[in-house]
Amino acid sequence: MTDGQEKAIIVSDLRRVYHTSKGILRKTRQAVEAVKGISFDVEFGELFGLVGPNGAGKTTTIKMLTTLLTPTSGAAKVLGFDIVEDVVEIRRRIGIIFGGERGLYYRVSGRENLRYFADLYGVPLSKREKRIAQLLDMVGLSDRADSKVEEYSRGMKQRLHIAKGLINDPQLVFMDEPTIGLDPQAARDTRAMIKQLVEKGKTILLTTHYMFEADELCRRIGVISNGEIVALDTPAGLKRFVKDITVIEVEAFGIVDADILNLRRRSEVKSVSANLEGERQTMRIQTPKGSEFIPEVTKLLSAAKIFDIRTKEPTLEDAYLRLVS
Amino acid sequence: MSLLHFFADPQWIIPNIIAPFVFTIVALVLFGNVSTSVALYAVLGGGMMGMWGNTLYGSGFALAFDRWNGTIEYVLATPSRLVWIIAGRSASNAVLGLVNALAIVLVVVIGYGTLFVVANPVLFILALIVTLVSLSALGVIFCSAFLLSRSAQVMTNGLEMPIYVATGSMFPIALLPFWSHPISLSLGPTWGIDAMRYASDAAYSGLGFGYWTDLLVVAASTAIYMAIGFWLFVVVEKKVRRDASLTEY
Amino acid sequence: MALTLADWPPYRIFWSSAKFAFKALFSWLRPPMWLTQLLVLPLFQMAFFVYLSRFVNPSGAAVAFIAVGNALQVASFSSIFAVCNLTSEEKWQGTLTSLIVTPANRFPLFLGRAMFQILNSMATVIVGLFYASNVFGVDMSQTDFFALAVVILVTSAAMTGFGLMLGSVGLFLRTAMIIANIFLFIGLLICGVNFPVTDLPTWLQPFSYAIPMTYGTMAARAAVQGSSTIELGPIILQELGAGAASILVGYLLFLGFEALARRRGAFEEF
Repeated sequence: MTDGQEKAIIVSDLRRVYHTSKGILRKTRQAVEAVKGISFDVEFGELFGLVGPNGAGKTTTIKMLTTLLTPTSGAAKVLGFDIVEDVVEIRRRIGIIFGGERGLYYRVSGRENLRYFADLYGVPLSKREKRIAQLLDMVGLSDRADSKVEEYSRGMKQRLHIAKGLINDPQLVFMDEPTIGLDPQAARDTRAMIKQLVEKGKTILLTTHYMFEADELCRRIGVISNGEIVALDTPAGLKRFVKDITVIEVEAFGIVDADILNLRRRSEVKSVSANLEGERQTMRIQTPKGSEFIPEVTKLLSAAKIFDIRTKEPTLEDAYLRLVS
Repeated sequence: MSLLHFFADPQWIIPNIIAPFVFTIVALVLFGNVSTSVALYAVLGGGMMGMWGNTLYGSGFALAFDRWNGTIEYVLATPSRLVWIIAGRSASNAVLGLVNALAIVLVVVIGYGTLFVVANPVLFILALIVTLVSLSALGVIFCSAFLLSRSAQVMTNGLEMPIYVATGSMFPIALLPFWSHPISLSLGPTWGIDAMRYASDAAYSGLGFGYWTDLLVVAASTAIYMAIGFWLFVVVEKKVRRDASLTEY
Repeated sequence: MALTLADWPPYRIFWSSAKFAFKALFSWLRPPMWLTQLLVLPLFQMAFFVYLSRFVNPSGAAVAFIAVGNALQVASFSSIFAVCNLTSEEKWQGTLTSLIVTPANRFPLFLGRAMFQILNSMATVIVGLFYASNVFGVDMSQTDFFALAVVILVTSAAMTGFGLMLGSVGLFLRTAMIIANIFLFIGLLICGVNFPVTDLPTWLQPFSYAIPMTYGTMAARAAVQGSSTIELGPIILQELGAGAASILVGYLLFLGFEALARRRGAFEEF
């Protein structure tokens, strides 16, 4: 076994800078460092999660590892192959499942999509139809396989994406936000499928910004913020970041941005996150003070109408918020 | 707003600049060393083609763009009548066409060194504006067809050339087969081009009806086009609301 | 186990792409639309230049030259315009990324997609020649039809290769459509379609000879007037050469532009 093959993915100090130019007459060039030198490993058979806010660098990282983007500096090995030098070898062996609606040919059927990609991946002709049938069965599209993809619902398209990503029976599968935009049932089915794949021995690298999803699925999680990995551990390990705090959860109406700022100024408050849309606003305040702090909160939010206020155990989401803010 | 889209998607403008431009140069090469009054045909024709292209392409593509984006539902839902929105778009496209036409004329004049002298600038500009309005009105009619059909883009490709031929943009329609003359004469722009030639060249005889008759016919045709356009849009709007057939692409 | 042609990856990719393009195209292109493009466009383009020529030269001496030239040139709509836009179409659709991440060689992939356009080109030219003879009175009594058929085939194939080369830009930039439009019409000017290449300024002529169509128009005219395939051999070979050169350059450009796109992350920009 050659060096680098003990792990499915080895990332060493990967960096990616984007150059953008603005303006029509006089172009000003800007360099944006999307990924600032990250390193991590993924073991065989592991379900590894890469989480972070939008724009943190998750998609850029995945694009580099799936050969869609060359890094500015640094190196990475996927299944033992270099992401810059051995592009074709990598492409042959990995599967890619990007969420969203694009990436499928709408004007032909699901089956024809799979057939075409099977041809492009060089799936042996003798195995092709059988594998397509198996995949369609696995994702539950067997009865709609021969309808045009433009007629599929969002959930069905996502399922076809999964089938397409597995068409070459890859050892390693990359998934970029696989449940985004799906209704709860479809999302749950997708997660079940992902778990099945791991049970079959596949290695999966998944990006998501749903923390509960990462908590449920991943063996280890890398938290990316602003292009850097700020933490890498199992979900349990990450929760230890916040073991010293309690979360005060508030449900109210009438909270304004100024209230959030006021709370953040308090030294006892580690972080505040809020959803101020709609009639039932929610707020999560992380503080080591626990329930003693509730009267303070009530005072600070006196202008609002509070429906409910209670303490909760910190979740992975709280750890994440601590890490990225 | 659609102008912004237009500029954001520069690819849509290009065919309308390139095709008339190339056609004009080919015409000039074919004309060779003939007098400038004949060269007038080429340059004027080229400009006309530039204008027409924008009017037709603008509406067609703007619509196709809208349909692709799904924004056409929003356009339909606005209180102001669809007609005025499309009319506004056609007008702005016509102006774009004018700019395009001027660009072509300028480039050809500079590149080829032929000087394009207009005998009566005022009448010329008047004819130009009237023709422009007529073109816009025609554009409005075609818009409604595109609203119903999935194949807006293919249609626009198909209409360009027939119009260039039928309106006699670069040669007298007398050369065309006699049975096609009624078709040519039913198109407003045919008379408009004729009027512009009258205004440019004192020796021009053209269709033989004189400048002012030409203008009258253009104006009349514009009125007819607008009437048809209005009516068609009402029909389309009703049908669309009934069938909800628009966003299916 | 016997190895068939289908096991050779580039062939499989090519053939699969060709079938796929055909299926995808006809799932939305209704016959009336396609027929309109096939039948209407050539007629009016030819009419425009024929009447223009009659205006300049009332004797009608140049009509045959122009009619046959345009009959060939209309192939550009398929071989240049449609083919050049293949790559940007994929980008616009959002499927380019899906293709790039496969190990499939891009050139046979897009070449396969372009196959239908070769057929389309040939059909358009045949329709054009039909108009030339039946509507515009070009005398085809001396025509060597076999030679003409060879010219049509070679021109369609070579121009499709040319179009593919132009289309490689679409992997990296958004300007493929602009280029498609430029080359769609530029043929009218520099490929000896409406007047001989020798009428052009000398500095422009080398460009004409880089485009396969230039040889095609010359050969087609000669075939219409009765030259045989053997007599046309040299020109046809030159056209094949120009076509092969475009294919070679195209292959390199595909590799180059893809590498550029990977460096810039440009696969999804449209």
